[in-house]
Amino acid sequence: MGVAVSTIAVARQARWRDFDWQLTLYLALLLGFGVVLGVSAAWNDGPVPAGTIPEPVKTVVWSVVGFTLMLVAASVDYHWLRTFAVPIYVVTLGLLVMNLLFGSVVSGAHLSVSIGGLDFQFSEISKVLMVVVLAAFLASRGQRVGKLSTILGAGLLTALPTALVLRQPDLGTALVFIAILGGMLFISGASIGWMALLLGVAIALTPVALGVLAEYQRARLLCFLDPGADPQGACYQLVQAMNAVGSGGWLGQGLTAGHANQLGFLPVQTTDFVFTIVAEELGLVGGIILLALFGLLLWRMVLIGWQARDSLGRLVAMGLATMILFQVVVNVGMVIGLLPVTGIPLPLITYGGSSTVSILFGMGILQSVRMHTRTETF
Amino acid sequence: MSSEFGERDLPRFGRRFATFGVIGMLLFTVLAGRLFQLQVIEGEARAANAEAARTVAVALPSERGVLFDRAGRPLAINMPTWTAAVRPADLPESRRNAILGRVSLLTGQPFEALAGRLDAYQGSPFDLVPVARDIGRDAALLLEEEAADLPGIELQVTARREYLDDHGAPDGTLLAHVVGYTGPINADELERLANEGYLPDDDIGRNGVEASFESALRGTYGSELWERDATGRLVKPLEQTKAPVAGKNLVLTVDAGIQRMATDALLWGMREANVSQGVTIVMNPQTGEILAMVSLPSYDNNAFAGGISDELYQSYLADANLPLRNHAISDIYPPGSTFKLATGLAALQEGVTTPTQRWQTYGCYQIPGAPAGDCLYDWNHRGFGKLNIVEAFAISSDTFFYQMAVHLGVDKLARWAHALGFGAPTGIDLPNEASGIIASTEWAHSQGRAGVYTGELAQAGIGQNVIAVTPLQLLNAYAALANGGHLMKPMIVRGEADASGNLVREYAPQVLGEVGATDENLRLLRIGARQVITTGHAYNIRDLRLPGSLAGKTGTAEFGLPDANGVLPFHSWFVAFLPSAPGATDSPIAVITFTYHATVIGNVSTEVVKYFLQQYFHTSQDLRLDPVTLRQLVGGN
Repeated sequence: MGVAVSTIAVARQARWRDFDWQLTLYLALLLGFGVVLGVSAAWNDGPVPAGTIPEPVKTVVWSVVGFTLMLVAASVDYHWLRTFAVPIYVVTLGLLVMNLLFGSVVSGAHLSVSIGGLDFQFSEISKVLMVVVLAAFLASRGQRVGKLSTILGAGLLTALPTALVLRQPDLGTALVFIAILGGMLFISGASIGWMALLLGVAIALTPVALGVLAEYQRARLLCFLDPGADPQGACYQLVQAMNAVGSGGWLGQGLTAGHANQLGFLPVQTTDFVFTIVAEELGLVGGIILLALFGLLLWRMVLIGWQARDSLGRLVAMGLATMILFQVVVNVGMVIGLLPVTGIPLPLITYGGSSTVSILFGMGILQSVRMHTRTETF
Repeated sequence: MSSEFGERDLPRFGRRFATFGVIGMLLFTVLAGRLFQLQVIEGEARAANAEAARTVAVALPSERGVLFDRAGRPLAINMPTWTAAVRPADLPESRRNAILGRVSLLTGQPFEALAGRLDAYQGSPFDLVPVARDIGRDAALLLEEEAADLPGIELQVTARREYLDDHGAPDGTLLAHVVGYTGPINADELERLANEGYLPDDDIGRNGVEASFESALRGTYGSELWERDATGRLVKPLEQTKAPVAGKNLVLTVDAGIQRMATDALLWGMREANVSQGVTIVMNPQTGEILAMVSLPSYDNNAFAGGISDELYQSYLADANLPLRNHAISDIYPPGSTFKLATGLAALQEGVTTPTQRWQTYGCYQIPGAPAGDCLYDWNHRGFGKLNIVEAFAISSDTFFYQMAVHLGVDKLARWAHALGFGAPTGIDLPNEASGIIASTEWAHSQGRAGVYTGELAQAGIGQNVIAVTPLQLLNAYAALANGGHLMKPMIVRGEADASGNLVREYAPQVLGEVGATDENLRLLRIGARQVITTGHAYNIRDLRLPGSLAGKTGTAEFGLPDANGVLPFHSWFVAFLPSAPGATDSPIAVITFTYHATVIGNVSTEVVKYFLQQYFHTSQDLRLDPVTLRQLVGGN
């Protein structure tokens, strides 16, 4: 990264008039959507135990923290990221190692580290940081981006954190890493031929990968292939979720009135299966509205990427867009039986402070890209 | 676009960007399409599946019908009973012992028993596990008060049967064999009756009317649809899909007051004569209604209703006098001389004798075809000279009836015995009725024999050896004699009642069949039965002033093995009815008493019937014989 010196030299003022209010609005609407769903999910659970704060309230607090971080990140020229790409990568690995060493299981394999009474899921921020790292790497490849070495280099950079989260074992985050890698390589202009070849090798190794998976992960995959295989056991969640989605109909059963949601047929209702609440209580209309909000958000994100003045900005924007798109498609897809259940949260909707803050932080970088887009002449 | 850092823009960015956008839109379209498929196309089916998963039909028990006697006295009622139950999922593990300890203290049941029942439970932790049954109202109230401090403990209120006597006191022994009892359903019954809506913790009628009228008393369970959560816990009722239909209240034909008199009389006689088992049945011969049915010793059906202790149950089973059996219908005995009704009627009908034909009687009757000296004694070992059939019936000459039976042949005798209802259940609506034994060629074949020996046939003529009947069959045969030849089906339930015991639907008496004898022949035997009282040896019962002309027949039946003195143990019978005049068919009452293994020579059963009639008609006389006199009486049959 021999261009670091010149990067410092051209750092410039942020142009706040270019701050993307639409992007911010969609983020706020999605977060609000999540809060409403959280309230509905907890509606019939009885009083919250003394000394604990209800999930929706926490989400609001974390959103405030996240938006503040967004403003901070927006005000910093994103070119600094290239300067600190290596430390960022090291920090990312360090966080994931900490997660492995000190993390405690929240649900399934979502490890979190408790610091000062707050739980942090470092895997969430690591996804955003990996976008930054890969963007810096790919942007630095310049004309050599079409070479096999680009793919191998990016693959190696991704392999380490992927291996760390798989150790947890957090299959969902690992898949997000791989998706980010694939999406960013594609956008970067990497060789389709080499990528296809490597993809072929990866598919050939799938049976081996299945052997690495934990028993419950394999069972979930088999359920996806045949939901009727074990409706009372491993496939229970999926069958219940699909029936709950189906019973939503056009307009849904109304907030706080979804039977499956309120009666606990969806044990992880506010996390991985949160979309079932949308579908059951708000119906097809509600589901389409939520998807449309995500569509608008993604539209603003790729627009920022399109208008970015350099490849680093483009790659950051498209990397984050890939992350959001992949998570939305996989999360909703698993709830409606299109994809296997893998434990990937629905961005901004699934309850979780770490995820919310991480994504808003990433969006801050995106704002920075937008606010530093205009080509300046000196 | 260019970069001021001298980097070229990303190669092929335009196309890659466009492709990215197209892929993204395609993916969203697929998601939306799938949502449309699930929610609109498959929506109703999936909603139905979800509905089925979250609702459950809960049975609504129907109230069991209560039983009244014919005077409207309640005999079997439903009492609330409280059960302390644990829902394991709600019982905090850390306070488990403290909570169970408190329940133990409040209910007075040992901690180990409560904990044991909880530990033995294997099912869902959200189901209720009964740990202390029938805890009583006070304990239930205390538990209710402390409910907030006893998480996981729930009170269940269920109905338990309580059986009452003629005074309304909770004493079921008076009518235990008639009323019966309910008890928990067992696994086999549950499997067999699952289609009729029986549940694992249901009670079912186990004996008496409780068993024979089970379906009428039980009613029909209703059903209620409940919403349940994913763990199976019931959340709230949604709708009643089927209302429960309460069981029918039944009025028995039995009058508890008459049952009490019959019981007192029988108890007295059994005590005086040192008899261990006895039966008294009182019937209306015109309708077949049973007014009293006493089988002693009895048992406590309330003990069964509350969950009988193993100790008590084993003691019942071990009792040689079989208190759990209704001797009136479930056991068969040789009827002795009372059976001369069947032999006499057959002889008249088949023309073996005319009413006036006089037959020589003997001290000992030489069995035809048997070696000389192989003879059967009359009861006085001397004979009575020449007798016609009425005289022979009144005096109960054995040798007269040996001759009748031998001249009839076994199958004609059997035919008329069957016509009087012997050899088949009477069809009374009580469980476990026996058929009895009536000798015939067919019967002999079924025993693997060629036929019946003449000696056996002669003895059959006096109700011995190859003849066995239930006390109810014998009473019913005499009832048919008393009413003019109609063999009635003995009735134990008179009809259905409202909640206060007023009859709202009366069951009609049923005629099992006509005896088929001529009125004249039946009348002759009624006259004979009257003469048993007036000239025969029914002792001083003739002196009892009754509103009618008492008629009857005694019987003494030897059975078993001779004692040290060569004397066979014997049963004693007395069956009686009370027409307004000798030979009339308007008798409103017929009574039978049977005493098992009498140890005095006099007929104890006659004394019991006498004492019963004294009470029934409130006579000022007390003609009961003292035990000393009873023992000194000349034996007779």
